[in-house]
Amino acid sequence: MFTLKVAFRNISRQKKRSFLLAGAIAFGMLVITMINALTGGLVENIRDNFAHALGGHVFITGREFNERGQMVTRIRPDQRLDELLTEHAPEITAFTKRSQALPSLIFGSKQTMHLVYGVDFQEEDKLLSSLVVTEGSLEDVLSLENAVILPQPAAERLGVEVGETILIKLETLTGQHNVGELLVTAFVEDQERFGISAAYVSRAYLNSLLGLGPEEYQMLNMFLTDLSLVESFTRSFREGLLAPGEEQEEEEPAATVTVGGVSLDPVPRQERISRWQGTRYRVMNINQIMEPVELAVGVLNRVGLVIFIILLLVTMVGITNTFRMVLLERTKEIGTMRAFGMHRRQVQLIFLWEAVLLGLVGCAAGLALSGLIVLVVGNLPLNVDPSLQFFLKQGRITFRLSPGSALLNMSLVVFTSLLAAYWPSRAAARLSPIKALSSHT
Amino acid sequence: MKKIYLLLTAALLVLALFPPVQAEDLSQIRAILEKIDAQSRFEGTDFSAVLTLIIEDPEEGIEKMVVRQFRRDDGERYLLLIQEPVTQRGQGYLLEGDNLWFYDPSSRQFAHTSLKETFQDSDVRNADFSSTSWSSSYEVEGYYEGTLGSFDVHIIELKAVDDTVPFPYATLWVTKDTNLVLKVEEYSLTRRLMRSALFPKYAKVGEAVIPVQMVFLDELVEGKKTQVSLSEISVAKIPDHVFTKAYIERVNR
Repeated sequence: MFTLKVAFRNISRQKKRSFLLAGAIAFGMLVITMINALTGGLVENIRDNFAHALGGHVFITGREFNERGQMVTRIRPDQRLDELLTEHAPEITAFTKRSQALPSLIFGSKQTMHLVYGVDFQEEDKLLSSLVVTEGSLEDVLSLENAVILPQPAAERLGVEVGETILIKLETLTGQHNVGELLVTAFVEDQERFGISAAYVSRAYLNSLLGLGPEEYQMLNMFLTDLSLVESFTRSFREGLLAPGEEQEEEEPAATVTVGGVSLDPVPRQERISRWQGTRYRVMNINQIMEPVELAVGVLNRVGLVIFIILLLVTMVGITNTFRMVLLERTKEIGTMRAFGMHRRQVQLIFLWEAVLLGLVGCAAGLALSGLIVLVVGNLPLNVDPSLQFFLKQGRITFRLSPGSALLNMSLVVFTSLLAAYWPSRAAARLSPIKALSSHT
Repeated sequence: MKKIYLLLTAALLVLALFPPVQAEDLSQIRAILEKIDAQSRFEGTDFSAVLTLIIEDPEEGIEKMVVRQFRRDDGERYLLLIQEPVTQRGQGYLLEGDNLWFYDPSSRQFAHTSLKETFQDSDVRNADFSSTSWSSSYEVEGYYEGTLGSFDVHIIELKAVDDTVPFPYATLWVTKDTNLVLKVEEYSLTRRLMRSALFPKYAKVGEAVIPVQMVFLDELVEGKKTQVSLSEISVAKIPDHVFTKAYIERVNR
């Protein structure tokens, strides 16, 4: 405790020097903390935005062959699926059963291709409350069979008004042309900031145009209560939905038809696909989609760590030089302390404590500065390109720093500070009291 | 009571104007469809022509495309090479039986496409460049007689036999004396008119009789239509290597 007190006093004595040393450490800490926090926030935002855009954390699609050997995307009412949903109900906050198409929406001489979700508005009551209506009303969508909710930009492209009828041109599951009429009941704020912009119609109506039964759908999306459950949840559904004789495949075969105008067959038909009976399910989760993002972020974090280590090395050289200078300055003082009975070990400890204190103060300052920057930058609303909104949360940059990585960075700083001070401290401890006292420095 | 009388009168009028199709008529109509298909085919000869497409789009304006077509109905083959506009020169479509490939010289890649797809941004479908198959793809749903302009025509209502054809319903206007299709209306599954095709001019080429002027109207998008005219028509033998991927790649070098 005595050595700690002396170390603290020594640091306080040379305020300017201590400030510069701690400042260098703080700068390094600031850089690594900002990089870690920024990438952490990015990953979290992208995951949230993906989940929002895709409508869940776990996604299930079903595929089957029709009588002419075409593969179609369809989920029929299935007892196995219902049982799994009941069994895992406590882990699911919400689930949606949707159909989808990428049709042409036509009004007069104008047309636009737009993603359309077929939604059971009675089941998905949360969807209606989450949409921001800019014109019209959502009341009619529950009663009108062919009501459509259009994103504002799509409505502007078509030049349509609420209450008017537009045409929807699409292909059925087997590729036949079909046309329906949609009554525009509301315009909603675009969801393009989430990377997706979709119109919503009744699932039963879209199904009738696609050639699906009223109770059928194409995607089952589930939001989970806890993201850490994603992998076990996915595994459980994969195993539970495995058809007799079906093996789990990592690589799924390519589909062979277009669904609602969305081509599922970008490459020629794969000859090796063998037909199967019934529906085969594909269960995917948000982590699979996030994998490439996390890889990229991991690279960014590693680059940050390299920069941090270089900064630490530079600081370490600075600390070593400073402590060697300190050794020269305090030679007489060390001699006096040794003459009064201080052990070599204690002399060394004073130097080491000084390094630890400098490291800790630098870390604290770095963290405090980062916190300040996070507070300011994190509250700035950014009016950037819509594609960049995918990285933001409600138009703002968010920062997430895990306590683990902060602790690791602090440990690295303290360790390098100790390493830098070690040789000067050992030299100080080895000083002979007589020689030190007779020194002229 | 008045309403019932009105309905009955209307029903009688409909029956008088459009009598139900008799079995005898049906076989006659089927024979007409077979003739139409037969005369659209080049049996034993090849066919080549230059196709000029004028695509009118209310949003995009008017665009001209020039396409050279090589066709061999024996084996269901054709090759379409785009010559104009210059930005698309070298792009090509190669049909081999059921497989249709699109070649883009900028990427030097072949991509699988379908006969059901539209050709570029026009109102013409890739299937329109080959012979017709009304008799095998559709069954007769209704038939009556009428006139189209100054022509006496059979008006034949068709329904697809399965879901392999893009349009589930179609109506043909066929000249009574020459069995030439003057007009086609194609309908969606919900029986909404999607496309009308007019064939005002025909030419006898070898044994086949083919339209040399065509107008395709998009009935959903107001003002969207494509006119096609054929020139430099030939039935000269086309070398086999023309119907190969290597040929498309080579002509682009």
